[in-house]
Amino acid sequence: MALREVKPTRSELLEIKKKIRLSESGYNLLKMKRDGLILEFFDVLEKAKDASMDLANTYKVAKEKIDVAKMVEGVIEVYSAAFALKHKPEVALTSRSLMGVVVPEVSFTSISQSIDERGYGIIGTSSAIDEAAAAYEELLDKVIRAAEVETAVKRLLVEIERIKRRVNALEFRVIPDLKEAEAFIVFRLEEMERENIFRLKKIKIKAKAAEAA
Amino acid sequence: MKAPAKKRRYAGSAVKARYAYGTARVHAMKVKLFPQETYTKLLVMALPELARFIEESEYKTEVDELARTYSGTDLLEFATHLNLARTFVKLTEMTMGEPHELIVEYLRRWDIREIKTILRGKLYGASDEEILRVLVPSGELSLEFLQSLVRKPSIEEVIEALKGTVYYEVIKDIDYSESLMKLEDALDKFYYMRMVDLVSKIKGSSLYLRVVQMEIDIANLKTLFRLRNAGISGGRALEYFVPNGLYLSDQEIEKMASAPYEEFVTLLGKYPYWSAISDIVTDRMESLSKIELRLDKFLNEHVWKASTFNPLTVLPMLGYMLSKDTEVGNIQAIARGKEAGLSEDIIKDHLTL
Repeated sequence: MALREVKPTRSELLEIKKKIRLSESGYNLLKMKRDGLILEFFDVLEKAKDASMDLANTYKVAKEKIDVAKMVEGVIEVYSAAFALKHKPEVALTSRSLMGVVVPEVSFTSISQSIDERGYGIIGTSSAIDEAAAAYEELLDKVIRAAEVETAVKRLLVEIERIKRRVNALEFRVIPDLKEAEAFIVFRLEEMERENIFRLKKIKIKAKAAEAA
Repeated sequence: MKAPAKKRRYAGSAVKARYAYGTARVHAMKVKLFPQETYTKLLVMALPELARFIEESEYKTEVDELARTYSGTDLLEFATHLNLARTFVKLTEMTMGEPHELIVEYLRRWDIREIKTILRGKLYGASDEEILRVLVPSGELSLEFLQSLVRKPSIEEVIEALKGTVYYEVIKDIDYSESLMKLEDALDKFYYMRMVDLVSKIKGSSLYLRVVQMEIDIANLKTLFRLRNAGISGGRALEYFVPNGLYLSDQEIEKMASAPYEEFVTLLGKYPYWSAISDIVTDRMESLSKIELRLDKFLNEHVWKASTFNPLTVLPMLGYMLSKDTEVGNIQAIARGKEAGLSEDIIKDHLTL
């Protein structure tokens, strides 16, 4: 805040004192929010790490199963069986608030099915196809879970950054500027007071001198 | 006094001659199949080396033909399957009469595979090109006819277009609104039941009938293992089994489907198939591929043995078709296994040697 723009008046001082109180209160609240968000972030981060590792392992297994299916049945059969799978996953997206941060909540019907529900005939297919299909059904479930958790992590990070910037702005810019302005006004008011006192003294001395004369 | 009528020494000689001719032809064709040692060599080759080997072998023509459309392991797979299809067509062309009919019936399994692929593609909403890409006509239905089916806009029209074929009556009244499963199983059951019906009417075909019924038993056993693994038992399981197997009756199958593990193993132990899988069957099996492979091997070995001692039947031709199919399957397994970076041991486990 440029000191030139500050009017050194009592009403301005009162205004600035009010602003300082508000800023300090806001600063404390934002710090608490930042700390709370960081705690939530670490909690969600653990879940995201687990979900990510789980997803990577499930993908590895699914890849092995589809490789074996291609090996045993050939890519022709695998493609043909894939055409038969009719059931598509249904995903419902809602949101919830995590310390004021809107994060997605995904609810979905798992597409894991029994072999007599997938859509291809049992007699003419093999277990290699079953195993590959089951592995990819499980993978899809894990992908959706991981997406939910990872999106929450990203949004929390963005919010933490935002709050951190505001906290820093208050701590290193706004409050110091306001305090500087307050100090300036107090100094100027005291100076004006001193000048007044000095002027009054001088007037008193002159008046006494005039009387004496 | 009338001279006694001369006994005909060679009854049914015309039929036997046809079998003899077919057997002689496939004997010559069998020489071109890869010997067992070749697979040992192929297993240690890198993928480009393997591709080069296949390109310079009996599959050269098909590899050159399809090189514009496919590449890499897809090219190897599609080229070997096309070669297989052409070999089967050649077999039907060089045989006549009874052996020809039996081979055509045997090859219906490939027609059924193509019909299923087309119906599945229509259900999925795949484009015509996507469906055509995975068709390899190997049976009685020609490529042109299959292409005409692919061009139909809906499943109903595909089924309608099958009028005039043996498949129409099987599937015309089946509800496929939920899935194609009932339709597909109906086609597979029809295949086996028709084979049993046809073969049992042929004089002197008891060995071939035995083979067909053994194949039904093995199909049922594979289904049994899969259903048990999935926790499906009882009446619900029975609809997936094909009747008229050699050893396994409906009652036996129903009992085995619901039995606890120890009882299941005891019941299974009564049958010759148990010898092929006894060392790998456990209570909770993560993968059933090995069991299926062993059962296929058991059937193949039975057919090969039977064909050696019965040259005047369709068995040598069937034995050759199985050998050719096995060769294509093995090449595919090695190529796909190498592409996926699987170890030699895992690939070898999935070969039929």
